[in-house]
Amino acid sequence: MPILNSVYRHREAGRVLRDLADYRAAGGFVALEQSVSDMAPDDLLYVFHRSGLRGRGGAGFPMGRKASFLPKDAKLAKYVVCNADESEPGTFKDREIIEMNPFQLVEGVALAGYAIGAERGYIYIRGEYEYQARILDAAIRATRGAGFLGQNILRSNFSFDITLYRGAGAYICGEETGLLESLEGKRGQPRLKPPFPAVAGLYSSPTLINNVETLSALPPIVTKGADWYAALGPEKSPGTKIFSISGHVQRPGNYEVILGETTLRELIYEHAGGLREGRRVKAVWVGGSSVPVLGDQHLDTPLDYESLNAVGTFLGSGGCIVMDDSGCIVRATLRLASFYRHESCGKCTPCREGTSWMERILQRIVDGQGRMEDLELLESLFGRISGKVLCALADGAVAPVSSALKMFREDFVAAIEQGGTPRPEPMWPATPAGAR
Amino acid sequence: MTADQIRAHIDPIRHEFAESRSLILPALKYAQTEKGHLTREDLDAVADATGFSPAYVESVASFYDRLYLEPTGTRIVSVCVTLSCMLRGADEVWEHLCEREGVSHHGGTSDDGRITIQEAQCLGYCDRAPCIQVDADETRGPLTPETAAHLVDELRAAPAPEEFWR
Repeated sequence: MPILNSVYRHREAGRVLRDLADYRAAGGFVALEQSVSDMAPDDLLYVFHRSGLRGRGGAGFPMGRKASFLPKDAKLAKYVVCNADESEPGTFKDREIIEMNPFQLVEGVALAGYAIGAERGYIYIRGEYEYQARILDAAIRATRGAGFLGQNILRSNFSFDITLYRGAGAYICGEETGLLESLEGKRGQPRLKPPFPAVAGLYSSPTLINNVETLSALPPIVTKGADWYAALGPEKSPGTKIFSISGHVQRPGNYEVILGETTLRELIYEHAGGLREGRRVKAVWVGGSSVPVLGDQHLDTPLDYESLNAVGTFLGSGGCIVMDDSGCIVRATLRLASFYRHESCGKCTPCREGTSWMERILQRIVDGQGRMEDLELLESLFGRISGKVLCALADGAVAPVSSALKMFREDFVAAIEQGGTPRPEPMWPATPAGAR
Repeated sequence: MTADQIRAHIDPIRHEFAESRSLILPALKYAQTEKGHLTREDLDAVADATGFSPAYVESVASFYDRLYLEPTGTRIVSVCVTLSCMLRGADEVWEHLCEREGVSHHGGTSDDGRITIQEAQCLGYCDRAPCIQVDADETRGPLTPETAAHLVDELRAAPAPEEFWR
């Protein structure tokens, strides 16, 4: 079904746009044509800036401002890097864009390249997305074949090409400097910042890194105008955002909403079909798993950056995981702690050791070996991990644990007093896929 | 795999990177397609083809979950166990498969060498939870313990893939 005000053409058109001709028919590559023939790169940069688009990967930094940090007079080559290492638990929106509308991403990368004066862009895709990588690879080839990538695009003096680079299984490569290290053929361990990638990124050259959803928003921003985009939603966080919703909801999936116009309750109950009969919301991790957890008292919060910050969490990647009151918050928190222990790259001691300790303490609480002092021990770890490391993984590891302990302390106390927590019955899928 | 085979794979993309170090990861992934894991000889061949030391190449390879430095089963079944899948039955799927394949709840390779069961962190298919990925094929879901077991039975009956993309 076509969606009004969608930023993503496959949603606007209500169909998959995996062929170049279909993408063209839906208005594709008009933005690139207009830009390279009629616009100076700086003017295009200013369009991005005026749109108010913020990074959709998790940090929410204004895209135009990030791009403007690249030095104008640099003699070094400049690069655009697209972060397609989508690995945040609960997040599967970039997968949809790549599967259903790969050309819009390719066009977005090219537009960003033109705006900053780059000749090459890289799309770094997680190794597990090999199926999606093949779709994207075909789209890049078709785009090149049609003359929208390569030497002197559309007879302009803009030459630009895109390299698809496959990761090999590491959450940390979604951290922008971990990604750059990996792309440079190293272990994907984050760098000390500053310098930021805008100044010294890939191969120490000025580099713009943005997420798939962010870069894919650029073509319609150019064709419909920065004012159109800026008028969608609140002034400080305009535009639309795709929320991936999963867990204990009836219709898990991706839902694109105008920021600020939809509440968390509407996302869960109207878009995602609500919970099972008789169930109520226990916990929601609204922006992926690296954010403080919310409870049912927060359901009327509008989904935008500022409103979510006001209730103590983050919009993050928009990977919204919902758990109803059949779930166990202690076990859910342990599961997330295990994720971060597994994915800590090991470079910074507080994160490497701290994530391991958090998992161990939570595991013994679940197993019935917990002691009341364990809760204080857990709390004493948070400040020794957060802010003492090079990247945001550690903060992401602490946030779901510290917030759960604060909001649901009685559940942790009960688990200790009752000698552990039984495993709840899962919500089985209503219509399991066959083996094929 | 030989250094010449790896060179033939990476030479066409060499010009896309300002530094040849960037070729190591594509070279490793390609070298792994032959046997499904990387041997000492494969690491040496990647080192030779890219111009870096075997020790450095191994330091890179050992960082990534989907590069295997030990032999595995013919097919690798990755069961997502992260939160969204857990809420929809991933632990039950995981335990059922481990028990059927006769491996511990930490995962492992079946006695006939056909199947390796391993835990995976979020595969990005939370809308189809619980999900499973076989090698680097398209992830499948939603599954039940029974449909997952049926899938593994089909894998066991199927011929080994010609190339191991993992």
